[in-house]
Amino acid sequence: MKSRILILSSVLVLLHVIASGQAATDDLVSHCMLNAGENTTYLKDFRIQLPGAAANAATPVYKANMYLMKNMKYRFSICNAPESEGELKITIYDQGKELISSYNESTGKQYNSIDFICNKTGLYSIWYDFMDGKPGYGVGVVSMIK
Amino acid sequence: MTGIISKLFAVILLVCVCSCKNTPNKQGNLNFPVADSVPAGEAEKLSDEAIADIIQNIASPVEIAAMLQAMEVPFTADYLATTQGADRLTTNFQKAIMLGIYGADLGYLNMYEKTGNSVDVLSTIKRLADGLRVGQFFDFETLKRLSVSKSNLDSLLFLSINSYNRIDEYLRDNNRGAVSALMIAGVWIEGQYLATQVATGGSYKILRDRIGEQKIILGDLLMLLRPYSRSNNEYSSFYDMMEKISVAYHDVRITYRLGEPETVEQDGRLVMIQHEESIVEMTDEQLATITGLSKEVRNKLISGL
Repeated sequence: MKSRILILSSVLVLLHVIASGQAATDDLVSHCMLNAGENTTYLKDFRIQLPGAAANAATPVYKANMYLMKNMKYRFSICNAPESEGELKITIYDQGKELISSYNESTGKQYNSIDFICNKTGLYSIWYDFMDGKPGYGVGVVSMIK
Repeated sequence: MTGIISKLFAVILLVCVCSCKNTPNKQGNLNFPVADSVPAGEAEKLSDEAIADIIQNIASPVEIAAMLQAMEVPFTADYLATTQGADRLTTNFQKAIMLGIYGADLGYLNMYEKTGNSVDVLSTIKRLADGLRVGQFFDFETLKRLSVSKSNLDSLLFLSINSYNRIDEYLRDNNRGAVSALMIAGVWIEGQYLATQVATGGSYKILRDRIGEQKIILGDLLMLLRPYSRSNNEYSSFYDMMEKISVAYHDVRITYRLGEPETVEQDGRLVMIQHEESIVEMTDEQLATITGLSKEVRNKLISGL
């Protein structure tokens, strides 16, 4: 009987961890959407969790491809989970060429969003990684600016 | 004791399977993902299924509607697909494609703040989603409450679009790419129908360009559909119709004018203005053919093929 209670408890704890983890992610997406501002409409979110960079190895990157349309204004917002060690940054590429990054290497300034006034319809690559190759967890939200 | 160990193993296995299957995103917060790495230039080398996995936002339920609203095009209820008869949809093909079509209609209603009218569409979407076993991603009661109260349009838009994103991710993560592709195609064809119908009734340069640019999107959409295109008669017939639209786009030209991006800081935000430009060349005849075919395909779909 004790074993059965132990099994049931373990399962419930495990299910709770899974459910609460998902809820925490959803909360972070909602929070990030609020940060995007009132004049925006949500389009897409990316949930990013990356390990730290191994010694002498490339920084882990989360990559996604997304269609962006001409005559649209997009806002790419990034938000870090409270427990995240690393700080999330975003870089947008067009056919392998870097267009913009939330981190300005020359000034050392990091922005928590990028507004992209799009004049060319096409498939763009969006890279998310954590500063200095630290492990981290965060979300990126893409929205339209009205 | 052996029985208990067996049960324990079975329960742990079940939990593992459930947790994997219900993780809406492979990069969820429970497991560290293996970072994917697919530069855009290499996309064409990938398999069709991989393309489906990496291309996000191939058709958004709200972008066309947002554009129409920004152009101050009046709302037209006649453009919406009827929800009558939705109860009679029996196959997964019909349910998935109509889930996409109603999703685009919901986006159109919400963008124009016709939220009071959207409850009927919401109910239909909920039924279709349940029929496809993805109803758990659709918080119908909250969406209905937000629609009726008209209190928070941003929350309504967020929740409804987010539900579609989660459904799409769940379907793809659970090897139901055929259903996901149909839902996306449904969103696309309804957006295309809206755009072409409005373009027919007026002179809207931006909208006309947007319709022309769909040549690029349609190519990828066909790539998403292709692996399943001969899986049954419905899919086959639909794919052939979509290919006809693609053929109509053949001579639409898209060229690019080069330019370096400009970056400025405004109110503490980083803003990038892209000066490279895509230019669409499409004749009135081409537009008329595309409009006619898009309407034909869409109307066949809403009448059950």
